[in-house]
Amino acid sequence: MTLVAYGTIGLLLAATVFAAHRRGDVRHADAVHEGWQQLQPLLLRLPPALIAGVFLASLVPEEQVVAVLGEASGARGILLATLIGSIMPGGPMIVFPLALALIEVGIGLAQMITLITAWSVLALHRVIVFEAPMMGWRFVAVRLLASLPVPLAAGFLTEAVLAATR
Amino acid sequence: MPPVASKRSPPWRRLDGTTVFFVLLAVGAGSATWWLQGPDAFTATLIGALGLLLWITPVLVGALLVGAYVQRLIPRTAMARWLGGNSGVLGLSVATIAGAITPGGPFAAFPLVVALYRAGASVEVCVAYVTAWSVLGLNRALVWELPFLGVDFVALRLLISLPLPFLAGFAALVILRWIRP
Repeated sequence: MTLVAYGTIGLLLAATVFAAHRRGDVRHADAVHEGWQQLQPLLLRLPPALIAGVFLASLVPEEQVVAVLGEASGARGILLATLIGSIMPGGPMIVFPLALALIEVGIGLAQMITLITAWSVLALHRVIVFEAPMMGWRFVAVRLLASLPVPLAAGFLTEAVLAATR
Repeated sequence: MPPVASKRSPPWRRLDGTTVFFVLLAVGAGSATWWLQGPDAFTATLIGALGLLLWITPVLVGALLVGAYVQRLIPRTAMARWLGGNSGVLGLSVATIAGAITPGGPFAAFPLVVALYRAGASVEVCVAYVTAWSVLGLNRALVWELPFLGVDFVALRLLISLPLPFLAGFAALVILRWIRP
């Protein structure tokens, strides 16, 4: 897994650097500067966030999680994962360490994909901080209503794909 | 509170609310682990967290660089032009692709949606774009999901997510017709 992830990033980086080089109007210094700008706030934030996420994950009660969100939990687990994902606060720095721990504990794949999808599309903290002030509540209401079936569809699609490939 | 810290300010001046919150959360969760599971479990968990940090940092740096290059290669104005002029299935398809490749966090994606919406792009195209950016966003998948959850998981989740922006777009269309027939 380690090698594949490093390889994927390496290939993508090589491809974008090559494309920028051929275009000529993209300066490498600008891109590096931009990347550094985005990395700076993370240097302080990421270590405590990640450590918090891993400790929080170690506190997750294993048996209960497997009982309600394990592979056998089926449609009920997918519904519950939608609910948890939509109210789960915090950005990716907290959520992904927790997700890793949940997978290690034994949460089902369909339930995990549902949880991440629900957190991605319904994310209430992002709605309150960015979307509502910028887009207005009417747009937010239409989008949230239209997004309600999205995590459920992701969960059931995953179950169908897993059933088909098994 | 002082205003935004300048570039030369010492590191502790850059401690903002979010960072302090994460530090407190880490201390709280760490103490609870020590209390409930004992010092051995605490040490093992801490070492695990530091190992994870060490391993994801290079991936993170690489992915941020990829995002920065993509942002330079595909300017926001070009993206807005593609999105504004199309509706229907074609519009939803363009919105899905654009959402998937938009780099950066919500501070990069939402200004684009606002500009589109004001320029007259239809609501379902905007909904499909936000949904695609949320579930198919390649930048976030690379920066965060790949290092933690691995290539197999990311590939499966992205595959499953391909039809989702269309689903949300069509649902928005139905809702709008229902609000004002």
